[in-house]
Amino acid sequence: MFDFLIQGFDVALSPMNLGLAFLGALLGTLFGALPGIGPINGIAILMPLAYTLGLPAESALILLAGVYTGAEYGGRMSSILLNVPGDAGAVMTTLDGHPLAKKGLAGPALGLSAVSSFVGATIAIIGLTLFAPLLAEVAVMFGPAEFFALMVFAFASMSVMMGNDPIKTGIGAVLGVLIAMVGVDSGTGVMRYTFGMAELYDGIDFVVMIIGLFAISEILLMLEHAHGKNANQEMPPLGRVMVSAKELLYCKWAMLRSGVIGFIVGVLPGTGASVAGAVTYTTEKRLSDKHNTFGTGDMRGLAAPEAGNNASAAGSFVPMLTLGIPGSGTTAVLLGALMLYNITPGPMLFTERPEVAGGLIASLYIGNLVLLALNLPLAGLFAKTLTMPRWVLVPGIAILAFVGVYQLHSDLMAIYLMLIIGVFGYALRKLGFSLAPVILGYVLGGLMEDNLRRALSISGGEVGILWNSAISVGLWIAAVMLLVLPWLLSRAFSRKSPVTA
Amino acid sequence: MRIAADRILGLALIGLAAFAAFNASQFQVNFIYEPVGPKAFPILLSAILATLSLVLVFRPGENGDWPDKRVTLKLLAVLGVLLVYALLFTRLGYVVMTFLTVLSLARLFEASWKKAAIAGALMTLGSYYLFTLGLGIALPGGHWLPDFN
Repeated sequence: MFDFLIQGFDVALSPMNLGLAFLGALLGTLFGALPGIGPINGIAILMPLAYTLGLPAESALILLAGVYTGAEYGGRMSSILLNVPGDAGAVMTTLDGHPLAKKGLAGPALGLSAVSSFVGATIAIIGLTLFAPLLAEVAVMFGPAEFFALMVFAFASMSVMMGNDPIKTGIGAVLGVLIAMVGVDSGTGVMRYTFGMAELYDGIDFVVMIIGLFAISEILLMLEHAHGKNANQEMPPLGRVMVSAKELLYCKWAMLRSGVIGFIVGVLPGTGASVAGAVTYTTEKRLSDKHNTFGTGDMRGLAAPEAGNNASAAGSFVPMLTLGIPGSGTTAVLLGALMLYNITPGPMLFTERPEVAGGLIASLYIGNLVLLALNLPLAGLFAKTLTMPRWVLVPGIAILAFVGVYQLHSDLMAIYLMLIIGVFGYALRKLGFSLAPVILGYVLGGLMEDNLRRALSISGGEVGILWNSAISVGLWIAAVMLLVLPWLLSRAFSRKSPVTA
Repeated sequence: MRIAADRILGLALIGLAAFAAFNASQFQVNFIYEPVGPKAFPILLSAILATLSLVLVFRPGENGDWPDKRVTLKLLAVLGVLLVYALLFTRLGYVVMTFLTVLSLARLFEASWKKAAIAGALMTLGSYYLFTLGLGIALPGGHWLPDFN
C-alpha cells in the first residue's frame, strides 16, 4: 500500500531533488518573510523561473512545494516581530505572537513557532500519507457527474469559509471561471471571448494570470502601504532563538490538537491556512484560556495557530493530489503548475505517476526537517529581510515578473496582458475581494465545464445524471447545507455576541 | 461612500454578465457532438454572476480605503513606469530599460537619487547575469541599439 512512498523517497532522496527541496525551503522562507510576499506570491514569482531550469515534473513540484511550506514558515516572522501578518494565514499569529515579542520574548516566540509549525506539519504529512491513497481509491469511482458535484461543493465551502463576504467570494470565483472560458473551446473548436485577438486563442496563460493577479497588484498595494499607518517599523530585539523543554511541554496539547484540526480544515476543499489559524486559535482559547491570558502573549495562543496553519498547508495537498481539487489558493497555483506539465492530478495519480505523488509527499517530510533546521539557527538572518526597504523590494518583484512572463514566448503581448490583469487584481482587492477564489475558479473552471459536458453527453442531455449516484447526491446535500447552515445558525444565535477576533 | 462603491460595482458586474451572456449566444457552432455545446456553461455563469451582483446592489458590503489624490498620482506613475518598461523592453534592451525602471521605481518609493542609482546598477547587472548565465534565458538586446547586439 505504501509502495508509492518508498518510490517517493527514492525520488526525493536523489541529490538533485534533495538540493531542490533545500533551495525551495530557503527561498520560500525568505519570500514568506519579505513584507507583502506570501506563499502565493512567492510561488507565482518563482514558478516561471523554475520552468527555465527544464526540471522534470516531480522535481519542479518538489521545488515549488518547498517554497510553499517554507513561505508558511516565513510568514510568521513579520506577524511576531512587527504585528503585520505576512499573509492571510498568519493573521492569528499576531494575536499572541506580537505581545510576546513586546515582552522581550521575540526569540523564544520565533523558536516556539518554528517547533509548533514543525509539529503541525508533521501531523498533517502523516495524515496525508495515510489518507490520500485511501481517498484516491474512493475517488476512482467518481464519474464526470460526481466530479461536477464535487466542484460545486468546493465552491460552496469556499464561499462560506474564505474571506468575510460570501457574496464577493462567490463573485470572485465566477469571474475566475469566466476568465478560464477565454480561448478555443476544446469540444467544438469555437473561439470564445477572444475578440479576434490571436494571442487569446490559447486562453489566458496561467503564468501571466498569476503573476499579474498577485505580483503586479502587490506592487500597487505596497505603494499605498508605504503611505499607510504601518510605515514605522521597529524591530524588537530577538534574544535567544530557542525554546526550553518546559515551554514546549506547556504547549504540547495546543500543538497536537491544532495540528489535527488544521489537517482536517486543510483537507476540506477551499479552506486554507487562514481558516485553520482562526479555528485552532478560537478552539484553543475556549479550551485552555482559564486566566484570560490569551491575547496578552500566551505561548499556547501562538503555538495553536502556527501548528494549525502549517498543518492545513500540508492537508490541502490531500484533495489536490487525489481529486484534483485544490484545498487552498496556493494549492490551486500548484495544481496549475502541474497542468503545465500535462499532469492532471486525480485518483489515477498514485497508480500512474507514483513518482510524482510519492516524490512530493516524501519531499514534504524532508522539507519539514530542513525547515526546522534552517529556522532555529537562521531566524535572526531571516528576520533581517523584514526590514528590506520597499525601494529595493518593488523593483526586484517587477524585474522577476517581467522576465518570468517574457521568457514564456518572448512576447510583449503577454506583458501587456499581465499589467492589465494586475490592475484588475488591484481593483478587486480594493473592493474587498480576496484573490484566492478567483484563482481557484480560474484553475477549476475548465475542468468543471468539461465534467458537466461529459456527464450530459453520457446521459444524452438528461440533467438527472448529475444527481444519480449516492456520492453525487451526498455532495449536493453537503453543498446546500454549507450554504444554508451558517445563515440559519446566525439567525438562531443572533442574540449571542460575536466572538472577538 | 463605501456602500456606493459596492452598488456601482454590482451594476457594472450585471452589465458584464449581460455582455458575457450575449457574447456567448453569438458563438458560431458548426457541428454539435454533444448535447451541451460551448454556449450553455458561459450563459449559466452569467446568470449566477448577475444574481450574486444583484444581491450586492441591495446588500452592499465592506470596502477597503481608497487612496487619496497624492497616492493615486503615484500609483499612476508606477503603472506608467511599468508600461514604458514593457513598451521599450525589446527596443532599448534589457540592460538599459531595467536600469531605468529600477531607478524610477526606487525614486517613486522614496529612495534618494544615490541609493536609487546604486540599486539600479547592482540589480540590473546581478539579474542580467543570473538570468542569462544562471538560468539560460535569452533577454532582449534592444534592436534600437545595434551596438549591444
